[in-house]
Amino acid sequence: MGGTVTSPTGLSADPALASSPTIEVNALSVWFGPKVALSEVTCSFGPGITGLLGPNGAGKTTLMRVMVGLLPTGAGTVRVTGKNPRSDRSTHRRLALVPEDEAVPDALTARELVRYVARLHGVTERDRPDEALGSVGLTDAADRRLRGFSKGMRQRAKVAAALVSDPQVLVLDEPLNGTDPIQRAALIDLFRRLGAEGRTVVASSHVLHEVEAMASRVIVLVHGRIAAAGDHRAIRDAMADRPRRVLVRAGRPRELAAALVGLDAVAGLSVDGDQLTVGTSRARDLAVALPRLARSVDSRLLEVRPLDDSLESMFRELVR
Amino acid sequence: MRAGRSLTPVVSYAVRACLPARRWTGLLVVFGACVAFGLLAHVPDTGRDAAFARVASAGLFGLVLPLGTLVIGDGVLGADIRRGTFVYSWLSPVSMTTLTVGRWLGGSGTAVATMAPAFALSALVAGSPNAAAPAALGAAIGAVAYVALFVAIGAATRRSTLVALLWVFLFERLLGTALTGIAQLSPTWESRAVFTGLADVPADLVRRGIPEGWSAVGRLGIITVVALAVATWRLGRLRLTGPAD
Repeated sequence: MGGTVTSPTGLSADPALASSPTIEVNALSVWFGPKVALSEVTCSFGPGITGLLGPNGAGKTTLMRVMVGLLPTGAGTVRVTGKNPRSDRSTHRRLALVPEDEAVPDALTARELVRYVARLHGVTERDRPDEALGSVGLTDAADRRLRGFSKGMRQRAKVAAALVSDPQVLVLDEPLNGTDPIQRAALIDLFRRLGAEGRTVVASSHVLHEVEAMASRVIVLVHGRIAAAGDHRAIRDAMADRPRRVLVRAGRPRELAAALVGLDAVAGLSVDGDQLTVGTSRARDLAVALPRLARSVDSRLLEVRPLDDSLESMFRELVR
Repeated sequence: MRAGRSLTPVVSYAVRACLPARRWTGLLVVFGACVAFGLLAHVPDTGRDAAFARVASAGLFGLVLPLGTLVIGDGVLGADIRRGTFVYSWLSPVSMTTLTVGRWLGGSGTAVATMAPAFALSALVAGSPNAAAPAALGAAIGAVAYVALFVAIGAATRRSTLVALLWVFLFERLLGTALTGIAQLSPTWESRAVFTGLADVPADLVRRGIPEGWSAVGRLGIITVVALAVATWRLGRLRLTGPAD
């Protein structure tokens, strides 16, 4: 495992650690019988949105459940605003989780669920449940029973239940599951606003381009360990010595290909019409040399873009 | 947060969200069973009171009470944990004691409101009106203890329905019949002892070696308190895993 880390602006020297942490995870290990779910994970989360990413079984849900106290630590410590969320019930006053599973109390209406959570948290403002439901667009469906809700509506009801206590720390486990594109955009906008207000928001998702749009910071978990942390583009840059592919669309493609073949930075090359797919392990060198070579063969560059500069490709690199 | 303020929503949630959606059907089943046992008491040639005492001992306290309260007691906590919906309660500043007591109060209230009138009705149907009050009291106190016990089992294991059935039929019925020490820990035997101690019943129905009448009420109170303490302790140590864990 690479353990690739980068240091984006505003973070401490170790990019897995936030400069002003609200959640601190120190040398955390969790086992389920013989299975190691998390192994010596050290990271922290501060105000703003942090994306928690990784393939299935990476340990994201386990980490989130330990962070809110639903699961005990096997070894290591977790502190939320300096308190142990497992043993100190007062931590939950300003801490909320949107769980991944669809389960909701079917017999209740959305309003009843949100009111229940509000009353448990001692919320005294009578309008808070309605505001929370309104913030996720469920005002019209608030008095319908949850058993009749679609997956996306249940998801939004869970988000409303989490928001009603006005949490300072919000842990979202796959919060966009089952939502349609319009709902997703609205929820992403909502989470961004919450992060911008100075709340600590931790969001996991498999829909990676949405996390890229949402999260200012990313922690990548692979096989129960932190594989990378920081800004997702910075992580990609730090992986510059790993192979990546670049699409080049240009005039006189065969002449440009012939010129590129002699370049040390090029590890592989294929031509299809006016498109060249260039394999490289030194993307910066290629970026510098490409315009010069194009001029030299009188080729006009129409498009240059990385084919695998997404978080999906990053996972592939990290787990290889 | 004051415990009283947070207790109300927990009790209300236990009644509204945790009990089976068709609980009115279940309630009718309990009443129907009690009426059937009351009618059954007309079959023997013995006196009405003695006949009802025998039917109540075996059928009402031995079958209807544990099974009826199992449905309610498991519903207010064990089923909520299995469904994954208990996280909405756990993730709050409310203490584990309040959560436990609130769930128990919600379940107990429902169980008492169902069992006590049904048992009294059974006595009336059987033509033994003097036994109505002792039967109702035994049912009420037994239901309270049983719900506490099933709440504790729900907090202790995900297979709470199976464990509760094993408790009722293996531990209480099989071992409790043979061993007095086990019967002293059994809501079935002790609630039956409340009834046999306060009603006019044949001597052979009185089980020796366990508290009778009001002493049995005290014993059921102790069982309730111990069960709630165990449930509270277990809730604090619960591992609420998600589907991906």
